[in-house]
Amino acid sequence: MRQLELERPTKIKRKFGMTLREKRIKRVAYLFVLPAVLFFLAMNAYPLVTVLWDSFQYKNLMNKALSGWAGLANYTEVIHNEYFRKALWNTVVWTVLSVAGEYVLGLISAFALNQKIKGRTVFRAIIIVPWVVPIVVAGLTWTWMLTPDYGIINLWLVKLHILDEPVYWLGELDTALLTVVFVNIWRSFPFFTISLLAGLQSVSRDIVEAAAIDGAGVRKRFFYIVLPQLKTVSLTMIFIHVIWTAINFDFIWVMTEGGPLYSSETLPIMIYRYAMQDYNFGNASALASLMLGFMMACFVIYYMMTVKKNRR
Amino acid sequence: MLISRGKQRFLTILTYVVLLGFSVYCLFPFLWMVVTSLKPDAEIRTVDPSFWISTPTFKHFDNVLNNSKFLTFFKNSLMIASITTVASLLISIFTGYALSRYGRFRGVKLFSVAMLLSQMIPGVLLLIPLYLVMKNLGLINTYASLILAYTTFTVPLCTFMMKSFFDSIPIEMEESAEIDGCTRVGIIFRILLPVSLPSLVATSLFAFLNAWNEFMFGFVFINDEAHRTLTPGISLFKGLYQTDWGSLMASSVLSVLPIVILFVFLQKFLVEGMTAGAVKG
Repeated sequence: MRQLELERPTKIKRKFGMTLREKRIKRVAYLFVLPAVLFFLAMNAYPLVTVLWDSFQYKNLMNKALSGWAGLANYTEVIHNEYFRKALWNTVVWTVLSVAGEYVLGLISAFALNQKIKGRTVFRAIIIVPWVVPIVVAGLTWTWMLTPDYGIINLWLVKLHILDEPVYWLGELDTALLTVVFVNIWRSFPFFTISLLAGLQSVSRDIVEAAAIDGAGVRKRFFYIVLPQLKTVSLTMIFIHVIWTAINFDFIWVMTEGGPLYSSETLPIMIYRYAMQDYNFGNASALASLMLGFMMACFVIYYMMTVKKNRR
Repeated sequence: MLISRGKQRFLTILTYVVLLGFSVYCLFPFLWMVVTSLKPDAEIRTVDPSFWISTPTFKHFDNVLNNSKFLTFFKNSLMIASITTVASLLISIFTGYALSRYGRFRGVKLFSVAMLLSQMIPGVLLLIPLYLVMKNLGLINTYASLILAYTTFTVPLCTFMMKSFFDSIPIEMEESAEIDGCTRVGIIFRILLPVSLPSLVATSLFAFLNAWNEFMFGFVFINDEAHRTLTPGISLFKGLYQTDWGSLMASSVLSVLPIVILFVFLQKFLVEGMTAGAVKG
């Protein structure tokens, strides 16, 4: 339907050049997108260019004497920061574990919600709830449940003899980041649930039935019919979430502020420290540009993957 | 039937078990939040906590509401989120319409790609230049700074949601309205929007949630108590109340309340909107 409608004006254009009506419509079209374009230019494009430009400048609000072209000095300084590697590694751990956990939970819950059972809408509503609360509130509530003194999770784990004594989950070097990952999974997996559920519901029942008639068992139908059909949704969701998670500032800041001893510091936290604690905007911009480059690389990979798939 | 009855029964039971597990997982923190906020300190600080509150108290709520700036923060958040919602809705209705109907123009198409890409530019990267822009314009510590930032970051997704709703409305309706002498803006407001009311609700809900839940910009752009929004406010309570978990949980309950109320009534729309934005967009 839509395809046809879109083609009609092009045909007119080809025959008679641009009609008067078409010209008027074009003006309206550009007028309609104008406000969004203005916002985009002022609040996305301009700051983006500034970040790239500043990354080659000495720009330190604490030391205004030093200014001007810096070349790659900011980049080398950032990369040689003693915590850079740690932060990079933390970012990778944080992103991979979070997205993997979210995907697995999302898939399981989506399958469960796709079954024809009573109370499905109620369960669906319950499962989305974590996603609508502010990250700050989620972080605060889990921090309370995880405190070593009187935190309910510690008390229960000790009571069940899984732990000998309460653990300061957010305060130990080796558990802080993993604990925040756990809470992030709790809050973010519902988004996967909803999207995968929508994907599942579009899996054609005919194909599944045909496979069943051909003698494919439950397991085979799942792995060879249903999962492949979820591939596009999954790929898109994972791609979006890798980026959203890698750049997330709120969760880690609210729960640990990157501590203890930088053990849960990721690159966004580092950018924030450079900018808002050291006021070294040059270094912060350099780190931001590095992250931007990394994300562009991700995008290119994703784009190649989808293009390749479409060609096949 | 695709599977035997025995297997079917097993599957149903398994489904219920899984869903119940998920429900507990998702709701337990909220339950504990509410329980803690209603307990007196002596019951919070015990090694044997229970769900039963023997002497429920509103002391913590009283403390949060009367001895802190909570109400100011709440009011600020409400105002900023509402204005953001209206602004991004207005902008994205027009942009979404243009993207849906006039995608054939090169400029419009280019902008839609640019907007899609802008979704991938993280706020943290733009934080520094935006902070400087706001500082130079003298907008630090004003509502305007946050409204501008939030609107910018919600417009793209709202636009794609509106576009996919407009896509599903047949163009014939507009054509007949046009013949009857309706203007373009008239078509949008008199013909399209009444038809897509549920989608409008979903989009505005989405914009509101985004603005209400945002933390980072509110944390950086606002430094004075009178203009602070709820999310940074609560995170600062953490330092203020130290280990007074009763008050902290009371403030959490109060800040989640409006969202939960919105959510209970509009849950269906939100799900539709999320899937429209995520899968089709």
